[in-house]
Amino acid sequence: MIFEFGLIFGSIPKMLTGLGLTLQLLLLSSFIGLVLAVITLLMRISGRWFLVAPAVVYIYIFRGTPILVQIFVIYYGLPQFEFIREGVFWPFLREPFWCCILALSLNAGAYVSEILRGGVLGVDKGAQEAASALGISKTQSFIYITTPIAIRLSLPAYSNDIISMTKATALASTVTLLDMTGVARTIVAQTFAPYEIFISAAIIYMVIAWMVQKGFGMLERRMSRYIKATR
Amino acid sequence: MVILRLFAVSLIIAVIIGLIGAAMKLSGNRLAQTIANAYTVIFRGTPELLVLLIVYFGAAVTLTAIVQSFDANVKFIDIPPFWAGAFAIALIVGAYMTETFRGAFLGVDSGHVEAARALGLSNFQTFVYVRIPQMWRLALPNFGNHMLSLMKDTALISVIGVEEIVFVAEMATTVTNKPFTMYIVVAFIYLCITTVITLAVMLLEKYANKHLVGGK
Repeated sequence: MIFEFGLIFGSIPKMLTGLGLTLQLLLLSSFIGLVLAVITLLMRISGRWFLVAPAVVYIYIFRGTPILVQIFVIYYGLPQFEFIREGVFWPFLREPFWCCILALSLNAGAYVSEILRGGVLGVDKGAQEAASALGISKTQSFIYITTPIAIRLSLPAYSNDIISMTKATALASTVTLLDMTGVARTIVAQTFAPYEIFISAAIIYMVIAWMVQKGFGMLERRMSRYIKATR
Repeated sequence: MVILRLFAVSLIIAVIIGLIGAAMKLSGNRLAQTIANAYTVIFRGTPELLVLLIVYFGAAVTLTAIVQSFDANVKFIDIPPFWAGAFAIALIVGAYMTETFRGAFLGVDSGHVEAARALGLSNFQTFVYVRIPQMWRLALPNFGNHMLSLMKDTALISVIGVEEIVFVAEMATTVTNKPFTMYIVVAFIYLCITTVITLAVMLLEKYANKHLVGGK
């Protein structure tokens, strides 16, 4: 058993075609997930039971089940029903790509809304009291005072979530999508050289995770520069 | 049942790896620190599925090569997918546990460790009698989260052909032609197990912090 470096260099261009799909999955589903998360968060902190209850149930279900099972339920499971196969969304739900996007976004929505809630709860009460003392309305104080502080507080956890989303996109290969892991698996099936191919794929994932971490680190430093200035 | 067995086995391995990793990170030894750091960076940045595939197929290729050097007639050998899965999941969760345990060990008051030293306890005794009883309380909330992600990672091993519930659901689908029902049942089973884990961790936390509750 020899470690063949030629194989690594030969397979990297193929793997990079999969990288495009991985990044598409990551960017689209984290964007949709963020929108879902904000909606869920607003429902959760609204204080009205008919809004809070669905949000809590949604978060509980999607955080309590494996993403793989969610992908399978959506991709293999939904076509069981007649009304879905005849519905308007069928052109989307037929495609494994959109099924993955749906599963990953729903998942991200549940996790991120918890992160954001942590951020909102972490905002100093005094800031809100000061706002209401100044006669700022509840909505305004949420938008102009709570939100900026909450975003900064939840950034570190959010960057961790983006990294785990990156790792979750690898699951797309289980529903026949040729993302980076999918491409790596087909190459391994042909060459049977698991170490070379899978490790080079792993290195690309690690580079993505590293860039996400650095990028968010820079953003966080920029957003909390007013704290450093006082020291 | 397979997933519960897998959960138990890989949880034990992960805790051992986590303790060793944390001890390496906190030791003064430069080499040990570098190894532990590389380990956590690698296994926290790689998708779980990829680690699983590397461990399973990598072990098969390595074992085959080793055996072939003794006996050239052997075509192919693989390790049981259950153990490959348990080991791969334990490696991933072990990396997260390392970080959690490191933070928890740092949270133990250094005065207690110094007191243990002053009383003449050995390094190992300090570790077992002073550090561990105090750190597990601090590690508990994160530990619970890692247990949940470990539980959810067990669904992945159907990919390498272990007959656990996702695999069985696939089989059942080919017979009944009702994929949604089958996978929803799987999801519900996972939901029940994760709920039990969450509740257990909550109870443990209550137990661990009861000395902090003031008299009423």
